[in-house]
Amino acid sequence: MTDKTRSIDLANISLRDALDLAVLVEEEAKDRYEEFADQMELHHNPEAARFFRFMLAIEAKHESRLAERRRGLFGDEPRSVKREMIFDIEAPEYDEVRANMTVRQALGASLQAETKAFEFFEAAAGMVQMKDVQDIFTELREEEREHQALVRQEIARLPPEGPARDDDDEIVAL
Amino acid sequence: MTTTNAPLPTYQAKDYKSELKPIWCPGCGDFGVVQAIYRALAAIGRPPHEIAFVSGIGCSSRIPGYTTAYGFNSVHGRALPIAQGIKVASPELLVLVAGGDGDGFSIGGGHVAHAVRRNTDITYIVMDNQIYGLTKGQLSPTSPKGLHTVTSEYGSLEEAVNPLLYVLAYGANFVAQGTPADMAGLAEVIEAAIRFPGFSFVNVQSPCVTFGEDDQQVKNHRATMQSLAKLGHDPTDRLAAMGLAQKYGKELHTGVFYKNPDPPPTMNALIKERQQVLSEKAPPRSRIFDRFLQT
Repeated sequence: MTDKTRSIDLANISLRDALDLAVLVEEEAKDRYEEFADQMELHHNPEAARFFRFMLAIEAKHESRLAERRRGLFGDEPRSVKREMIFDIEAPEYDEVRANMTVRQALGASLQAETKAFEFFEAAAGMVQMKDVQDIFTELREEEREHQALVRQEIARLPPEGPARDDDDEIVAL
Repeated sequence: MTTTNAPLPTYQAKDYKSELKPIWCPGCGDFGVVQAIYRALAAIGRPPHEIAFVSGIGCSSRIPGYTTAYGFNSVHGRALPIAQGIKVASPELLVLVAGGDGDGFSIGGGHVAHAVRRNTDITYIVMDNQIYGLTKGQLSPTSPKGLHTVTSEYGSLEEAVNPLLYVLAYGANFVAQGTPADMAGLAEVIEAAIRFPGFSFVNVQSPCVTFGEDDQQVKNHRATMQSLAKLGHDPTDRLAAMGLAQKYGKELHTGVFYKNPDPPPTMNALIKERQQVLSEKAPPRSRIFDRFLQT
């Protein structure tokens, strides 16, 4: 939990800052999916790239919905929570991807990311003092739970995988 | 209600990110390192045009191109002399150096000792993946003994260079280690290294997922890394730092190993001092001209 944020006092966070944090969490995830899609395209893996672009669009939608809500409540009040204060809350970890990964593995990376976000908001909801902030963190936690279920459904719909592709360069460090 | 206690950065991490897309292998540790560098630079708050980023050759040496700072992707193993020259000529620049373990401790190994003893105010970030990745997996100076590679088919017979002990033994005044498995901690040590007045060294255990020993190294780091601060290590104790540094390759310690509480003057400070002394002794310009005419 503490390794995911810096200089944010989650226990005493205000509603405005909580909403800003939620927007940034989605923005970070969106940017990471874009990076992953670019990496996959560069490494000639269009299937995984397509999936990451799909996830990017979903995160972008969440981000804009939360940003709209923030604007509705607090207008253009300046943000005091900055992107530099959060570390991979919902963004999949960089080491989750590989050049020849399958769509199933890409979905697995997303599931891990959704699980991380669920755990973050669950812990945050347990820490906060203000009722309205607790409500928003609980709501976000439940959304992450739904996303996990959706990703699991997608994984279940995939056809069974054949043997792993062996088109890598030979791994020489044994 | 104020819920944050950090001063707001003038620049954001994204301001240091260039348009160039990294071509590292997906999963490479260097992706996390470059993100940590963006964040550290945002915390420092210097505009990109006041930063010079120098590198040698290797996968990690691509980093300057991925930032908006002035970049110099130089010659294999020669990033440190170039960076020192930049800092001496343009003291106002914040100078960073990046490279791999091969660049820094093999072909460029001789330069490290001199960069340490000159104490030019630069920060040297080594992405230590224990292999030559760009050239497809040869033994590197930090490869563990026994490693099988294309150049050590039956296992390496050589002991690995210990980068931490190496720079500590030469008298480095700031030595730290990080891993992309802990990006927040890594950003923090890079920021501390940049803020340190003098030569600072950060060893980053940045695994190679294609030719490295184990393609799950970052996960292993997450499970095994030990924070020096949490272990109660005193970063002002050089001998304790050297004791911990000896565990390089066996245990993964993260954070600041050593930070001189009383940093000696930097090379730039000494040059300024010398210039001042000599300018007082120097004959007036007219005398110099007279001498020229006499010869």
